[in-house]
Amino acid sequence: MAKKEFSFNEAVVEIEKILRNIESGDLDVDKLAVEVRRASELIRQCQKKLHTTEEEINSIFKDLV
Amino acid sequence: MTEKLSLTELQQIIKDSLYIALPDLYWVVAEISEMKENYAGHCYLELIEKQPDEINVRARVKAIIWSNRYRFLKSFFESITGESLQEGMKVLVRTKVEYHELYGLSLVISDIDPSFTFGEMALKRQMIIKRLEEDGVFSMNKEISLPMFPQKIAVISSKNAAGYSDFINHLKKNSYGYVFHTALFETVMQGIETEQSVINALDNIAEFQGLFDVAVIIRGGGSQTDLSWFDNYNIAYHVTQFPIPVLTGIGHEKDLSVTDMVAFQALKTPTAVADFIIESVAEAENHINEMSSEIVESSRIILEDNRNMIESYRMNLIPVARLMLSDQKEMLSVRIIEMINFGKDYILRAGLLPANQKSRLISATGTMSLARKSEIERSRIDLMNFTLNMLEKIKTSTSGLLNTLKILDPENVLKRGYTITIKNGEIIKSINQLTEEEVIDTQFSDGRARSKVIERQKTKDKR
Repeated sequence: MAKKEFSFNEAVVEIEKILRNIESGDLDVDKLAVEVRRASELIRQCQKKLHTTEEEINSIFKDLV
Repeated sequence: MTEKLSLTELQQIIKDSLYIALPDLYWVVAEISEMKENYAGHCYLELIEKQPDEINVRARVKAIIWSNRYRFLKSFFESITGESLQEGMKVLVRTKVEYHELYGLSLVISDIDPSFTFGEMALKRQMIIKRLEEDGVFSMNKEISLPMFPQKIAVISSKNAAGYSDFINHLKKNSYGYVFHTALFETVMQGIETEQSVINALDNIAEFQGLFDVAVIIRGGGSQTDLSWFDNYNIAYHVTQFPIPVLTGIGHEKDLSVTDMVAFQALKTPTAVADFIIESVAEAENHINEMSSEIVESSRIILEDNRNMIESYRMNLIPVARLMLSDQKEMLSVRIIEMINFGKDYILRAGLLPANQKSRLISATGTMSLARKSEIERSRIDLMNFTLNMLEKIKTSTSGLLNTLKILDPENVLKRGYTITIKNGEIIKSINQLTEEEVIDTQFSDGRARSKVIERQKTKDKR
């Protein structure tokens, strides 16, 4: 667990924050681009976590029992 | 005292005495401490009564249910209580006391009252629930929040249970294509060892806190649905204290065990547990997707607004730029005409100049007007570039736009000495729009003047 764990919950909280920011309409176009890029990166990571097998986790699990 | 009895004779006396003393069938309350079914289908039991301390035994007797009765009583009992007859259970049985020369005393059971056991079980369950409530722990596991994406699952089950493979297969074949990670913590799911085995598994999982999102306790369905092993204070207590949500699928149609009641979520079957997990993930993914499209939609609106704003600035900018251009052109044209006229006059006046000087003068005039022309062209290009740059700047940063645009505000153009001529509220762009004696307004940066057209002169080479 040396690597920083990706956290779904943190990702979702951040996406929610970005959405609120964008919806507030206070963002200028430059910041908007940055935020949208960040959100899409987070969403991509979530999707990846949901759909790809992680050998690392599986091997940890196998060692447990 | 000289009479001697054979052992058989003595046994016969005992047997006869008992038969006379205990002629009837008796309803007896007892606890099953041992129970075995032999090859012929007869059921051999040991019945006990415990001391009030519930540990020491104060009475013990052998009992038997003959196979023909046992087959009937077994299924009758299960149909009423939802449990099979088992060790540790309190029962009310109708018995006949029998004595056998070879096997000694035993109770022959001819009937069982399942409602007594059912009541006992309910009572026991009620007491466990009450105790958990009094401890203030009953709903602690329910109060934990389920991770949005319960992907890493600790499974408490026995490897060979049908329920376990159902669960794993169901997860694997989920229609969304999600990947789940499971680790099996093998346990005994039935019988006297259940308590310790399940508690050990829970402790093991708790040690790897942070590795798992959720723990599930699952067991195959079928007729073997002895729920009472999970009507257990210690198991239930461990579940309430568990650091991650516990889902149960112990496979009982009718009733919930206490463990089910205190779990984060109780489901009927292992398959239902798998569905619950899959749907939780799907819900969370749906939430993300919704946010994703909201972000796209909101961003699109913002960009659209910006584009509209830029467009309206551009629309405002074009007339100003045109105005500036035509002003300059006009000014230059006037100069060129003046110059040509001047040149003509000069040539006329100096009519006697040598021909070569004349032609030099003409070409000089031409050169000058050419220079002027290219100057116009240059400033036109400059202005265009300036305008384009400005638009570019607006596109990249909308925030600084207003400040930047002030430079191009018609008002500032006026400040630089240009004026706008207006007739009846319309901007006059051509002398053709005016006639002599007509009243016109002139807009300065700091005011407006009204005047009358006294003379109207058209620039000659202008169409």
